[in-house]
Amino acid sequence: MKKILVANRGEIALRIMRTIKRMGIASVAVYSEADRSSPHVLFADEAVCLGPAQSSQSYLNGDKIIDFCKQLGVDGIHPGYGFLSENADFAQKVTDAGILFIGPGPEAMRIMGSKLAAKECVKTYNIPMVPGIDQAIEDVTIAKEIANKIGYPILIKASAGGGGKGMRIVHKDSDLEEQMQRAISEAKSSFGDGSVFVEKYVSSPRHVEIQVLADNYGNTVHLFERECSIQRRHQKVVEESPSSVLTPELRKKMGDAAVMVAKSCKYTSTGTVEFLMDEKLNFYFLEMNTRLQVEHPVTEMITGIDLVEEQIKIARGEKLGFTQEDLKINGHAVELRVYAEDPLNKFLPSIGTLTTYIKPEGEGVRVDDGYEEGMAIPIYYDPMIAKLATHGKTRIEAIQKMKQAIKDYKIEGLSTTLPFGTFVFEHDAFLSGHFDTHFVQDYYTPELIIDKQKSNAEIAALVGLSYWMEKGKMINPVDNKSTSWKRRLAH
Amino acid sequence: MWPVNLWVGLARVISHKEIKYCHMPENNKSIAVKVNDFNFLFKPEDLKGLNIVQHSPSEYNLIKDNRSVNARLLDSDHTGKLLRVEVDGELFEVEIKDDLDQMLDKMGFGKASIKQIKEIKAPMPGLVLEINVTEGDEVAEGHKILILEAMKMENAILIHTNAKIKKVIVIAGQAVEKGQVLVELE
Repeated sequence: MKKILVANRGEIALRIMRTIKRMGIASVAVYSEADRSSPHVLFADEAVCLGPAQSSQSYLNGDKIIDFCKQLGVDGIHPGYGFLSENADFAQKVTDAGILFIGPGPEAMRIMGSKLAAKECVKTYNIPMVPGIDQAIEDVTIAKEIANKIGYPILIKASAGGGGKGMRIVHKDSDLEEQMQRAISEAKSSFGDGSVFVEKYVSSPRHVEIQVLADNYGNTVHLFERECSIQRRHQKVVEESPSSVLTPELRKKMGDAAVMVAKSCKYTSTGTVEFLMDEKLNFYFLEMNTRLQVEHPVTEMITGIDLVEEQIKIARGEKLGFTQEDLKINGHAVELRVYAEDPLNKFLPSIGTLTTYIKPEGEGVRVDDGYEEGMAIPIYYDPMIAKLATHGKTRIEAIQKMKQAIKDYKIEGLSTTLPFGTFVFEHDAFLSGHFDTHFVQDYYTPELIIDKQKSNAEIAALVGLSYWMEKGKMINPVDNKSTSWKRRLAH
Repeated sequence: MWPVNLWVGLARVISHKEIKYCHMPENNKSIAVKVNDFNFLFKPEDLKGLNIVQHSPSEYNLIKDNRSVNARLLDSDHTGKLLRVEVDGELFEVEIKDDLDQMLDKMGFGKASIKQIKEIKAPMPGLVLEINVTEGDEVAEGHKILILEAMKMENAILIHTNAKIKKVIVIAGQAVEKGQVLVELE
């Protein structure tokens, strides 16, 4: 492979291109009219404009991307995450055009891309699953029947979904119709597929996922787990690896299950098998994500393996260079997703311009980002600014580094999840390891952040006053009893 | 802008010393300080007992309620009343208001009248997906006015009062900015 086009934007496009460059391969960026000056465009060897800002007219325009590949002599396409990354039809078209798709084969994507087909596929492998219906529904009355059978609360999920989109929890019968319509409509607009299904809502679950890696020769390994239970709006915001609740035995059991899920659909490249885990540490297969995950850095930090590099090697036909036995967990890593969101206002998007943007640095500190100071966060895309990850010898060391890195991360011009991160990493429940996906609901109120800000603001006020009054003293000659020539000069 | 070189020179003289003020607010008057969205009012006695040291031209340490806090003065204007201060990693805009400033503020506030809800504004930028009201509708509290899509999430915009719709400003499919008026109320 000599030239790879990255069909994505922002931090992930940049992160992928860094590996591409390190491997001595040329990179091609694509961009929308809103992203002309984005770092991923500046970093690439070549760049092409896909069209207007709306993703439907730019980053989702697969045909245009393939045309550009042909024009520019591109050998491979890396789709990143989101956009076209889990679109099996696109992967098929890419393959048909004689270009390597850096990801799993279209068939595996098709199976795992439909949560219903995925359930069907892994059925024979004796992998535990959540009670629910195994077919798509649009009829509210049928949904009500099923809901009554399995009992509220229930979860409506888009079959093609991901990232919490098209997902709704319903607590009572009377809310079902409205919520189902919203879920269907969201699923249609986000994924172009309105089919939804219903399953029992497992209360207080943990979300633990296993990273897998498979080559084209039947070698499949897992790269341990990622704990992703800290979520808001069903979307992950803090992740870590390893999980503090997994024993080596449980890790092996889940790892083996994940490898089996991957093998069930003849999976290749990197993928993630997601599990729900109840308070008794029983785990249930949730879904498989057929892409590079947002939170992959924590896995890279504890294994020392560059997942994008592995994807590229697998795509160009290389065998995995290691076996399961070669893989060891080295230390601990935590990650915070830095979103342009206001944690004081229900985590609603906080769009604006990065008037100040200074990244933290240091040993064991990694920032994957796609913006620079002075840039505006466009409304058209996911509001993630960056991923901040830290690595330490122990969990507590990784957390301490994270807290310092958050302090060193200076962002002004919009609200971000940074103060929320501090809240999480200082919280007893997080520190103890005893938490689940209800962490935000159970422990978080904006007042906790506001109180802390207020106490720091008071310090700022006192320091400001000190300076002002000291300045008054020095400027006013009557009050200045000092004989220092330096002070006299000041007048 | 306060000349930085000059300030550095001066600061060196007093560095690592406790700060003692010659100028305290007169006549026991309070000083108001606005920090980001917070407003504080300090009395002279609050400032007299302050345990603060300056250990470099821009670095301060303050012990308050036994908590040792480091702060940095990043910037200030020529009056010394508008400053930027970093505390525990957080950035703050500090605005000191003396007697005159406070008086002007009060006059400013005097002009503002209590506002009734006259319009519904977009709480965030996004795309208007559908509108559920028309002009002349009488709607009750909690009624869904429209659906705003932002970052691929659909958000129902509800009304928090009983009202009559005077005018619908936006149309379905329109992109709106944060704070843009969506619907006017009577």
